[in-house]
Amino acid sequence: MRYALTGAALLTALLFSACRGAEQGPPQGAVPRTPDGKPDLQGIWQAMTTAAHDIQDHHARLGVPPGQGVVDGNTIPYQPWALEKTRQNFATRATADPEAKGYMPGVPRIMYMAFPFQVFQTPEHVTLVFEYAGANRILYTNGTPHPRGPITWWLGDSRGRWESDTLVVDVVHFTDQTWFDRAGNFHSDVLHLVERYTLVGPDHLQYEVTVEDPKVFTRPWKMSLPLYRRKEANVRLLEYVPSFLMQQDEVERERQTP
Amino acid sequence: MNAEWRRAALGLIVTLMASATIGDAQIPPPPPSSIGGCSNEVASFHTCALQKARTFTPPRTQSGKPNLQGYWRSLLTQPFSIEGVKGDEPLVGDLVMPWEVAPGMIVDPPDGRIPYQPWAAAVGRRGVNFEKFIDPRTACGPGGVPRLALQDVNQIIQPTGDGHVVWLFEDHHINRVIAMDGGPAPGPDIKLRVGHSRGRWDGNTLVVDVTNLNGFTWFDDSGNFYTDTAHLVERLTLIDADTIHYEVTVEDPRTYTRPWKLVWALVREKTPGFELLEEACWEGERDLPLIREQGFQYYFGEPWQGR
Repeated sequence: MRYALTGAALLTALLFSACRGAEQGPPQGAVPRTPDGKPDLQGIWQAMTTAAHDIQDHHARLGVPPGQGVVDGNTIPYQPWALEKTRQNFATRATADPEAKGYMPGVPRIMYMAFPFQVFQTPEHVTLVFEYAGANRILYTNGTPHPRGPITWWLGDSRGRWESDTLVVDVVHFTDQTWFDRAGNFHSDVLHLVERYTLVGPDHLQYEVTVEDPKVFTRPWKMSLPLYRRKEANVRLLEYVPSFLMQQDEVERERQTP
Repeated sequence: MNAEWRRAALGLIVTLMASATIGDAQIPPPPPSSIGGCSNEVASFHTCALQKARTFTPPRTQSGKPNLQGYWRSLLTQPFSIEGVKGDEPLVGDLVMPWEVAPGMIVDPPDGRIPYQPWAAAVGRRGVNFEKFIDPRTACGPGGVPRLALQDVNQIIQPTGDGHVVWLFEDHHINRVIAMDGGPAPGPDIKLRVGHSRGRWDGNTLVVDVTNLNGFTWFDDSGNFYTDTAHLVERLTLIDADTIHYEVTVEDPRTYTRPWKLVWALVREKTPGFELLEEACWEGERDLPLIREQGFQYYFGEPWQGR
């Protein structure tokens, strides 16, 4: 009797730990690690989703592939005035979209555009270098706090920490000039993001971001998408710099219209 | 386009920007009399620094490479001309665009002059580039290599695994990714504003080969230049814990009569809590239409294209 009880307890414990293991993702060793034991996020990554066009479910439009959204539950909890603003944004997107002006696209938008970015890691920071606009983000993991605001930065200020095997990054100090996509989804300057980067396999980096902005939304909401490792043997980040390309285009158009 | 117009246009820009950033970034304080225990005169700094590098044992990264990481500022540099500015230069003492008398950074050839071919001398050195074109950096382009390391603050990162060295510049948020994996450069049809950088360790020196340059960047405010056939070799060596001897050899047979060499010092920025800040340029840029109205053109290497 006594043995049977112990056996049941052992079984329960085993089941419990198995469940916990499942919750915590793949076992240690399944992903590359740095010498200090952290998941090694380094490499060239790229999203494969239509979120850059529209983060929500959308039909095809001319030049826009159809797609299922990356927003949890698909609904973005806009305040009524803000929902109206997204409609205006959508109607005027050809000129009003900050991307159309060649500006830095903001966060999280830059994370799921159709361009690769490269991750570099040290114990003090995780640096993201983007092919788009030659932009970069330094996610500090050295325990330093956000600098005192107010500061308006296009890519915000990022302070991260490791929670088990997930890199959790708090991002604040934004401008109100960036959008989430080409469909006019937007935020204000009090945007506060919590990003979670989890290596779920050697070639898959799960990206999840919680969006909080009491000026625009009625509650926080969440997006998630996988980032894929670029595997081409010769893959390198090149340059896509909108300002430079727009200047070239301007000159070319002037040349054609004397 | 004459110099008067240029000055008027640039004066307008400086006024419009109504900001101290240009002044802060461009007018360096006079260098201290000693840099890393060497003289502040560039040729003797060069000789002395190389001497010191022979005996200095640099700090190492966890994986045993020389540790160049940290924040760096250039010394022995000025933005006006890598050939130096003499007292009779018309822009010295100019009210709108005040250049300062300052030495150059060229250690080879010994006369401190860029060994331009005759056609190229008329383009660089306050020639055609300066008279007709917008400084690519003013157009929110990158300073390019090596101008990026000549101005403003920068950060060197040696990420885990030794596969790369990352060099970040505050100026227009430019980055350089230096591949340390021994892989080949991209094909010659791929042209990049800061080129493609491949690095290796030569003893304690980081040697970087820069190829695939598009030639749309300048060395300095004077419009000194290379073309898209240029090949640069940079050498970064710690000569004490807080000083890097920076050297770059410039090769472009289309433009110069021989390879030549620039040298300056990178000195550690030690302010506690120092970090690079985000510097946007193109975002909200309003001056370029005004500059273009003055007749200045965007620089896409027109003076040398097709040569």
